[in-house]
Amino acid sequence: MKLHQRFYVIRLYSPSVAKTIVGTDVAYWEWYTLWMAAIQIQDVEKMYRGKVHALRGVSLDVMDGEIFGLLGPNGAGKSTLVKILLTVIHASKVSGSMLGNPIGHRKTLESVGYLPEHHRFPYYLTGKQVLHHYGALCKVPRNDRIARASSLLTRLGLSGWENKKVNSYSKGMLQRLGIAQALMNDPKLLVLDEPTDGVDPVGRREIRDLLAELRDEGRAVFLNSHLLSELEMVCDRVAIMVKGLVTMQGTIDSLTKDSRRYEIQVKGALPSWSSEACDEVKGDTMIVHGDDPLAIQSLLDRLRNEQITICAVKPVRETLEDLFMRAVDYTDTPGAVQ
Amino acid sequence: MQFKALLLDAYRQLSAAKLFWVTFGISILVVVAYGSVGFNEQGISVLFGLWEIESEQLNAGSPWSRGLYIGIFSSFLVNIWLAWIATVLALISTCSIFPEFVHSGSIELTISKPIGRLKLFFSKYLVSLLFVVLQVTVFCVGVFICVGLRVDEWNPMIFSAIPIVATFFSYLFAVCVLVGIVTRSGITALLITGVFWMALWTVQTSEAVLNRIVIEQQVAIERFDEGVKKAKEELVKITETSAEDFRIPKLEKRIETFSNNSKESEEFLEKITSWHTPTTWVLAICPKNAQTIGLLQRWLNDPDGFDITAIMAGDMRSIEGGEDEVPYPHPDPDGPARAARERETMRRMVDEYDSNSLWYVVGTSLLFEGVILGLASLYFCRKDF
Repeated sequence: MKLHQRFYVIRLYSPSVAKTIVGTDVAYWEWYTLWMAAIQIQDVEKMYRGKVHALRGVSLDVMDGEIFGLLGPNGAGKSTLVKILLTVIHASKVSGSMLGNPIGHRKTLESVGYLPEHHRFPYYLTGKQVLHHYGALCKVPRNDRIARASSLLTRLGLSGWENKKVNSYSKGMLQRLGIAQALMNDPKLLVLDEPTDGVDPVGRREIRDLLAELRDEGRAVFLNSHLLSELEMVCDRVAIMVKGLVTMQGTIDSLTKDSRRYEIQVKGALPSWSSEACDEVKGDTMIVHGDDPLAIQSLLDRLRNEQITICAVKPVRETLEDLFMRAVDYTDTPGAVQ
Repeated sequence: MQFKALLLDAYRQLSAAKLFWVTFGISILVVVAYGSVGFNEQGISVLFGLWEIESEQLNAGSPWSRGLYIGIFSSFLVNIWLAWIATVLALISTCSIFPEFVHSGSIELTISKPIGRLKLFFSKYLVSLLFVVLQVTVFCVGVFICVGLRVDEWNPMIFSAIPIVATFFSYLFAVCVLVGIVTRSGITALLITGVFWMALWTVQTSEAVLNRIVIEQQVAIERFDEGVKKAKEELVKITETSAEDFRIPKLEKRIETFSNNSKESEEFLEKITSWHTPTTWVLAICPKNAQTIGLLQRWLNDPDGFDITAIMAGDMRSIEGGEDEVPYPHPDPDGPARAARERETMRRMVDEYDSNSLWYVVGTSLLFEGVILGLASLYFCRKDF
């Protein structure tokens, strides 16, 4: 049985029934993952004209009801991967599923919203017409289009602009309209490529809140962005792509687990025993690796006993930016593998 | 629903273009100018009676006024305005539709929707023909009313100009689409389509010129052979009466000259046919623009035999009546028989082109268009945007 057929069976039936059809044991995790995965892809490859190896076997999962961030330097293959999912680019090799159907399944796109990077709307259309046009292409019935267009324009702060031509919109407004367009078909999966590009801080916050609302509604959101701080604030899980490969994938907490530490800053000079009592010493700060608060209690007691003033106790972990910089080896040349 | 959305989008795109309204305005002006021509007892009135042309043949009571009025539409308005000027304007207006459609940032939005690429491509292609269909429809409605009011004939065949002109335009637009999709440049698409159109015109004109020469030679050979036959019959008659008649050497000389002329014409015909045959093959696989537009004249033929293009070519038979008297072949190629030979050549050419079936004219042209669109759609479907 081919992999995508196996996916179908596993998604459609309970593990026991699936076992009789598939012919082998279906692990509970496999059944559960497939049930919950909005996107599940394995070994996606893309070679451009036999020269540029843009994707070299990408595998990742995006679950329902989560915001997933895809990071990577320029030329890492992020947009190529997104475009493969949306059938804009043909993969050299792909297996997996999106919303339970094989990648490239046209009808599945009725339940997917997409905002491409640097999108261009027809200049002769008004905001409302843009939403109606793309809504109709997604086969949204007219009455639903009317209701959704009106509520989305309000939700994204574009009310009052619905009858103005899009060539009079600012970059941020176009971005908001793009998100509204992606939501016109009430998608189960939302794929956004640089959604906050050109949006002011207030707008970014509104978009973050909107994404959180969408997640809470049980939709999967796939974000592709360079703005690491934005992603850090909103993403449940991230994947970092470098040269066509996913080098890290997981929750930010799990990825930064090893880097967690406590920093204890004291007033004045550190005691002589400090280097033995902690993992690291930096100026007036003692560093203890790990995320267990019990590990620093004895140290704090000892400092207090010796009448040393404790200025600050900070739990510290790597930021997404630190993680990104660690994952991306900038000593190498950027871009895809030739 | 998706096709309707694309159709609506195409209309909005066109109506946002100034050139669409300019072309539309000129179309209306042309129809008004056409409607300003009328007939009264004295002759023809132009510009709603500002200018009168007295004519005994063409007046309100004349049977040819209908032929002239519809002839102006089918021979001039369609051939010059719709098939040339309006087509150039339409190409300028529509050449950027596909390059803009496949522009980065725009194509991703459309192609990521639940619509197959092939369906999307052909839907977009069909709705892009809307420019021409709208323009020609308005034009035909105007002409239909003018013809109805001026010559009291409500002829629905006038509306056949809509599919004819749209088909004619689609031959060129297919090339424009292929180039536009590959190069993503409207200007390049327009230029290459222009070059293609000129190449088509060259092929068609070459074929027409060579065909005319071929038919001219065939007519000449027939006439010379006929002359030889007549001279021989005359010679036999005279010889039976008197073996020493003074006309005998003259007739023998004539037979010899005619035979030589016929032989020369045959040799020339053989040579020219070797040029003409490959040209007809090339034309057979090319879109037949002129012949497609010519279908309208064929379908709007005057039942009274009035043929404005023949009149413009100097053939007044449709007005004066009667068939050409076939003059006795004359050895001098520029002699009195020349004009009759040319008329006969023209008649045979028109008959030959008119005898081309609809399948040959439109079918082979659409086949060519299909190949071009097949290539364009293949490129579109396989392309990574």
